[in-house]
Amino acid sequence: MTRHAPPTDTTSIGHDVPRVDAVSKVTGQARYAGDLQVAGMLHGRIWRSDRAHARIIRINLNGADRIPGVVAILTGDDIRGVVPNYGHALKDRPPIAVDVVRFVGEPVVAVAAETLTAASDAIALIDVEFEDLPAVVTIDAALADGAPALHDTVHLKAGLYHGLGDLNLVPGNVCYHHAFARGTVDDAFAEADIIVEGEYTFPAVFQYAMEPHTTIAEWIGDSELVVRSSCQHPFLVRGELADLFGLAVNDVRVIVPFLGGGFGAKSYTKMEPITCCLAKKARRPVRIANSVDESMVTTRRHGMKAWMRTGAKADGTLLARQVRAWFDTGAYADNGPRVVATGADAAPGPYRWEAVKVDAWGVYTNTSPAGSYRAFGATHLQWAGETQIDEIGRRCGLDALQMREKNLLEAGEYVRPGGKPLDADLKGDIRKAAEALDWGSPKGPHVGRGLSVGLLAAGAQPVSTAIVRLEADGSALLLVSTTEVGQGTRTVFSQIVAEELQMPMGRIKVIGADTQNTPYDRSTGASRSTTLAGMAVLRAAREVRAQLLAIARKVTGLPDAAITLEGGAARHEGEAWDYPTLIRKHFGMVGGELIGRGEVRPEGNDDGSYAAGPVFWEVCLGGAEVEVDPATGKVHVRKAVSVADVGKALNPRLVEAQEMGGAMQGLGNALYEEMLFDATGTLVNGSLYDYHVPTIADLPDSFSSNIVENGDGPGPYGSKGVGEGALAGIAAAVATALADAGVYLDELPATPERVWRGLHRKQD
Amino acid sequence: MIGVFDIARPGSVAEASALLREHGPDAAIYAGGTELLILLKDRLLEPSLLVDIKHIPGLDAISLDPCGCLLRIGALATHREIERSETVRAALPELAATEANVANIRVRHAGTIGGNLSFAEPHSDPATLLIALGATIALESDAGRREVPAEDFFTGFLSTAREPEELLTEVLVPTVEPGTTVIYERFKIHERPSASLGLVMDIEGGKIGTARLVVGCIGERPVRMIRAEAMLAGQAPSPDLFATAAALVREETDPTVDAFESGDYKRQLAATLTLRALERATGSGATGGAR
Repeated sequence: MTRHAPPTDTTSIGHDVPRVDAVSKVTGQARYAGDLQVAGMLHGRIWRSDRAHARIIRINLNGADRIPGVVAILTGDDIRGVVPNYGHALKDRPPIAVDVVRFVGEPVVAVAAETLTAASDAIALIDVEFEDLPAVVTIDAALADGAPALHDTVHLKAGLYHGLGDLNLVPGNVCYHHAFARGTVDDAFAEADIIVEGEYTFPAVFQYAMEPHTTIAEWIGDSELVVRSSCQHPFLVRGELADLFGLAVNDVRVIVPFLGGGFGAKSYTKMEPITCCLAKKARRPVRIANSVDESMVTTRRHGMKAWMRTGAKADGTLLARQVRAWFDTGAYADNGPRVVATGADAAPGPYRWEAVKVDAWGVYTNTSPAGSYRAFGATHLQWAGETQIDEIGRRCGLDALQMREKNLLEAGEYVRPGGKPLDADLKGDIRKAAEALDWGSPKGPHVGRGLSVGLLAAGAQPVSTAIVRLEADGSALLLVSTTEVGQGTRTVFSQIVAEELQMPMGRIKVIGADTQNTPYDRSTGASRSTTLAGMAVLRAAREVRAQLLAIARKVTGLPDAAITLEGGAARHEGEAWDYPTLIRKHFGMVGGELIGRGEVRPEGNDDGSYAAGPVFWEVCLGGAEVEVDPATGKVHVRKAVSVADVGKALNPRLVEAQEMGGAMQGLGNALYEEMLFDATGTLVNGSLYDYHVPTIADLPDSFSSNIVENGDGPGPYGSKGVGEGALAGIAAAVATALADAGVYLDELPATPERVWRGLHRKQD
Repeated sequence: MIGVFDIARPGSVAEASALLREHGPDAAIYAGGTELLILLKDRLLEPSLLVDIKHIPGLDAISLDPCGCLLRIGALATHREIERSETVRAALPELAATEANVANIRVRHAGTIGGNLSFAEPHSDPATLLIALGATIALESDAGRREVPAEDFFTGFLSTAREPEELLTEVLVPTVEPGTTVIYERFKIHERPSASLGLVMDIEGGKIGTARLVVGCIGERPVRMIRAEAMLAGQAPSPDLFATAAALVREETDPTVDAFESGDYKRQLAATLTLRALERATGSGATGGAR
């Protein structure tokens, strides 16, 4: 990686600048949603369904409403016919169960009380009489002939901003079908000398974040709503709340302080609707803070089953791939359709095919709803596709590196019909990973090495705006609605402003998202923030820069070319006019401010690379060396390698931190994490005592993150996003490494028992 | 969210016992709170009175009897204190090492040995090793004191021989003679171990004298493997002997059914840990790989 000479006060692009919010976070001064107090605020608790699918017959309060301190109790009766359904892709979900529950954990009653204890006491008294309905808790059950349908799918309304084209809903439990084909797969398979085929299962996974979902809802009268929430996408939440309550968007204000992690768990609308309904009924502000156990039934990653086959010529030249995949979206679609579409896009992998055919479906089941999770879509199928590539290699005498050198796409080739061509050097990337694994060197018994490479359509919709305000004293405020979720966005944006305005980072303040005061940003996810919001920030700063130069020209009478901005001042041959001086001269007083505005949108911008989509292809590349204990099946990860093909690392240390975090979650997905639902649809391991999130003890012996900087990204200074690739890349590399060690799995995670059984199966 | 309760702070065991007797099932003993608070938060337990025994003097003492043959660990000693105790480290280093790996640093800092044993969670690390060591549990009430062998103390899942009005006050652990090996092995991928094994074995003149072999975590309580112990006694260590012992353990264990691992696999883990412990005890084979 490139690390330039030490940063100066004002030039830090490409340097390991410390996080601007590190001190406030480690000293406890940084405020999260759970730290906020609103005058008159009540505490909400939720009674959740213990049935997977049932009709609500009667709700018995048993005196819950008479507990001192209890102010309001909300049930479906309060919203039936009054508050419609919500949902990002499909409006399929009421804020609180109305007449029917569809998963274990669905909110049925919400209580607001003066204290959390009173609310909890009230919840403990309540019981609900149900009439059970037939439930489908697996993909197979949901798709079986005559399976009971969770929703009246054909009459579901589409969500506000789904961007998925015509949804074509048909009766049954399928909420979305995404298909594409290129060439004729049957003809291509007929030409194939080698065909590998398999069925694969990927588990439901919890996107654990240290901070569970927390929302405070405050109504000002009946037509103004203020919501403070731990959400990743404040503007999308604002839009959904306005729609739900019939308000103008300027009457809904969503404020997001620091987030304690998100990983997709806080993308789109989650606990906001129920909290707003409860606050409306209580006529007081209400906070609902999930426990971790409650967050586990609020959102999760889609479990998946898939069938895949890959065909090749005898020399290892790939010909065709066909995939059918079913994604378990749980009781409500949430972001499921987008996960399905992204999964389908990623299914062929970055190879040159004569023919490809992919079908992917989103399937409702009576389990907790599934939505976004870091690297969704890519993680689900990359491991399956990559193990098939390796299997073809084994049959034709090529190793994993040779197979990929032979078949990977080159930059400029099309990944899928239409859209943006490949914008990365995948062969160069994979050679780096192989080198870091000491590829080809001897290895001991039960040791396997694996590589994997995939692509993720990154960026979501490319719409972001930003405002830079340069104040009269030379300090700056950056208004941008990207949420600081731990990824370091406030640091990187400060670096960009500092670079463009040649001013010290310490004089720049990035405020948190507040839809009433910070300008529109589509979302914080899909590895988009540095690339898109960062570009809006850069453009906003450049507008201020242009204003500074114009003022300096006027003040000095010199042409632009004679003036440089450096060290917080306009300079010409040893003379300097600092920014406060320029602003004072401009406004004729000590005051005023220079305002710059930046925008990113799909068309008509001067960089032009967003129109066709995706914004960029995020490279999901990993390598792993594993050692298997044959007696217990335990997998020890000796080496994990990621390659971050980021165009330009604006802050290499933050890139590495993203890679390492993603890699750890990739190891969790590959080796440990699995939400287990029993036959009744109850989550069996619904707490952190029983659900193992990787810890420091699970770190690989070595981790190497390799940053590739080819300047080929559409973001600031040639950058492109990072943060998701390592998750999919490492998870798949563990799977290919296990196969190299003789453990062939068709199901993740590779728990010790599955690995042990896999070894036995081979010996049988 | 925890409900409402009173806290009593008795100054003696007798006073605590009287409170427990008076309030019966409405009272719960509170020491480190690492298990209790989970139950309270989830409202699985809603006591109206917590009997906070942390202020009873002397209950956290760790000492070695003058004979050097008996280690006394007070019920209020935390895992961290036992891990760090020079006395424990010198007398029974494997016990100190086991305590050093219980749960995580937060639990070790607050959790007590008495609480750990009284809760009788089947995945307890120290329980398995203490049974192998032949430890005794002292139980006291306002009516007096009795001592129960650790292997009889655990009566099932989350249940013990302790009467409601009794306090676990002390754990008495016999130290071992030179030449006796003490080993604790476990297999852990979740928050709690999936399988554990305690082995205390002496070898003299090339032959095994006695072996105490206890399997923990995979059943409702830690259980001595009587058949394997009997088979090992008096035999010369050999790979075949160890394989036979492991096979016996595989048969003798009685795994509980859960969603995480199958019975077959739990038996495999027990057998593997047996083999590894025996190899480690005799300095043969690979050691400690499954910890």
